[in-house]
Amino acid sequence: MDQPKVILSLMFFTMAFAFYVVTVLCYIGNWVFKKKWLGQLATTMTYVALFSTSMILVSRGFESGRAPFSNLYESMVLFVWALTVGYLILEYKTKMRIMGAFVMGVALVAMISASMLPYRFKSVEPLNPALQNKWNFLKDILEPFGLQNYAIGWLDFHVFTTFIGYAAFAIAFGLSIMYLIKDSYEKKDKRSTLIDSFPGADMLDELSYRSIAVGFPFLGIGIVSGAVWANAAWGQYWSWDPKETWSLITWFIYAAYLHARVTRGWRGRKAAYLAVVGFIAIIFLYWGVSFVLPGLHAYA
Amino acid sequence: MPMNTNNDSTQARPLKSRKGIFSKIWGVLASVKLTLFVLLLLAIVSIIGTVIEQNKELQFYYMTYGQGWGDFIIKLGLTDMYHALWFTAILGLIVVNIVVCTIERFPSKWRNLLGDKTNFKVDIIDKLSRSDNFELAGVPSSNKDGLLRVLKKKKYKHLIREEGTGFALHAWRGVIGRFGSDFTHVSLLVILLGAIIGSFWGYKDFRVVLVGDTMQVPNAEFELRLDNFWMEYYDSGQIKQYNSDLIILEDGKEVGKKHIWVNEPLYYKGIRFYQSSWGKAWNRLSGAEVILKTADGKFSDPIEINWMETKPIPTTGYSIKLVAYVSDFAFDTETKTVFSKSGETNNPAANFEIYKDGKVVFATWLLFNHPELVQSMPDASEGVLLLNGIRGILYSGISINKDPGTNIVWLGCLIMGLGCYFSFFVFHRRLWVRIEEVEGKTLVTLGGMINKNDLLFDKEFNLLVKTLKEDGSKSFAEVK
Ligand code: HEM
Repeated sequence: MDQPKVILSLMFFTMAFAFYVVTVLCYIGNWVFKKKWLGQLATTMTYVALFSTSMILVSRGFESGRAPFSNLYESMVLFVWALTVGYLILEYKTKMRIMGAFVMGVALVAMISASMLPYRFKSVEPLNPALQNKWNFLKDILEPFGLQNYAIGWLDFHVFTTFIGYAAFAIAFGLSIMYLIKDSYEKKDKRSTLIDSFPGADMLDELSYRSIAVGFPFLGIGIVSGAVWANAAWGQYWSWDPKETWSLITWFIYAAYLHARVTRGWRGRKAAYLAVVGFIAIIFLYWGVSFVLPGLHAYA
Repeated sequence: MPMNTNNDSTQARPLKSRKGIFSKIWGVLASVKLTLFVLLLLAIVSIIGTVIEQNKELQFYYMTYGQGWGDFIIKLGLTDMYHALWFTAILGLIVVNIVVCTIERFPSKWRNLLGDKTNFKVDIIDKLSRSDNFELAGVPSSNKDGLLRVLKKKKYKHLIREEGTGFALHAWRGVIGRFGSDFTHVSLLVILLGAIIGSFWGYKDFRVVLVGDTMQVPNAEFELRLDNFWMEYYDSGQIKQYNSDLIILEDGKEVGKKHIWVNEPLYYKGIRFYQSSWGKAWNRLSGAEVILKTADGKFSDPIEINWMETKPIPTTGYSIKLVAYVSDFAFDTETKTVFSKSGETNNPAANFEIYKDGKVVFATWLLFNHPELVQSMPDASEGVLLLNGIRGILYSGISINKDPGTNIVWLGCLIMGLGCYFSFFVFHRRLWVRIEEVEGKTLVTLGGMINKNDLLFDKEFNLLVKTLKEDGSKSFAEVK
């Protein structure tokens, strides 16, 4: 049997991996040694890494002959891609590079985890019957160009929106950790050249809220589009399978975060802890459920 | 950066000031602390159902967890946790929480925001986190146009009031952002309503239909005939798709048809039909092939017989009819009946009747795996019949689902989307401005607030101050 070749995408993956290592080192260097040129280099490297990550997805699309969002490995790359885009927006809006060490650090960890996936996740598998859900109108549009296999459906949309949500939560996770560190320094009036260069605790709180305000609706759309797909494939929009339930659990945690912010006594630190717990739940949702618990989801 | 939590109009009355047991309970039910508690509780207990497999046979739980834990799990309803009474009760609690919370906060929020528009007070400027005052060139009225122009460009609505020599102004935009949370909360009620309707007025069922057969649809006035079932494969041999051709029949007449596959159900009169499984029929064949081995060891040509068809056995004067089939032959010695031990094709056997002059003279079961086991001709000296081959028939497993709540759930999701959009991307911004003439000078006092996203508002506020200053000097130049 002829396995579709995945050489090109693996090559881009290897390159991207190296770029992320360099990017994170530059951001850390910029933070610790306070060298401006290191920061500029870090930002440039982030763009390079983003380009390389985009190329993983594009080449993957060519290799598999369909939209590249259908297994754990592909969704991992999508996650890193969205996280990088999100970070660049954050950096552009705030004009601060300190957060890169933390947020891009999360992206690097994600790249490391993706590289450790067993080979069967990296190779291109044909879609099983339940995963073949494409929007007919898109097929019709793409048909004249011979691209009908690249039409996406509820499933791809579901994966795509969910992972944008995850990326936003990952940013909030990085920022909340920074908030917790900064806040404890501010409260005790402690000083440290490393921590002083963080943005103020209030600002970190606000920024991590803004990230969650993006992630929450995207995860919501992800859950709903998953339900629409389940309704089409299995005749039930909700069946409490472990993956569905875990996505609901994380959604509950972030709903709690949003309400913590309007509750006296829960603002600030406790809310930040919820943002951290929420992201840990996502990591479990992402990896734990796929490998530990039984369920219907063939991909992440 | 100043924090601007600004939930002035959405705080419920504090619990401590509440007297009387009813008022206290009401206070608890209206509190966001309860929401936090219930949301986290839901998150934690939901985990249980992902660790303990749901809806298995009771046996499974005893075998996996032992007698003691098994009992515990079954008593607490953890075998179907998400439908257990206590889980439903937690959901009920959040519903009550939402309703009470909304009753408590919504009217005052509404009044406040409306009141803002009809009767504004500029004195609050001093209390705002964002405020400024400075001197302008020109007279108050000459500054008015520039101010209004900026506000219009920034899509603010405004009210203006003449005050002595000058004027007071209140401007706002994005009020709907304050109601985003209400949309979201109501949407949850709508989704739950849809789920409840589905569970009371909907049903789920499953039917197996053989190719060519017609099935009665439960609780409905129509039938479905399966005209064809087939599978598609990838080059690698993996299954790509299952397909069924369904014909809708009403009073025996064909009124529609649909090719369904996994992901593409048939929807007719509120009922959905899904391709959900398939298999080989265990009690039907499309046909079989038999061979007669005569007493002297000669084999006849194969005889092809379709289901329920009669064919002559050459040179014998008998004819043979295929009347029954089991895929896994077994014999019940008590009732003396043949049945299929399983759905697998482990031990296929076909039942034939043998006719002479149009009358049944003999009946026999031929086992594919065990030829020559039984006497198969009316007289043993006439030889034995061998089952040489069978042509199986496929069935299509069709899930039937009626859920009149589905569209209400989708409606709820839509409202939730709107609610999230309003909450997270529409910001309520308010500005108060007073321009007055004091001892020949034009003084501006202005202040503003936003319900969230201070970063955005900082920029906008500074822009406004800058424009006012520049505009003022321009009009000053004109006066000169
Ligand atoms: C699963 C349940 C719930 C969900 C998904 C939910 C969702 C939301 C969302 C998305 C917001 C907007 C948050 C923001 O603007 O940052 C919000 C705000 C709020 N929610 Fe909920 N909510 C839930 C239950 C409740 C309940 C039971 C209460 C009752 C006390 C409540 C009270 C509030 C309040 C007071 C606000 C702030 C309103 C404002 O700032 O205008 N929520 N909720």
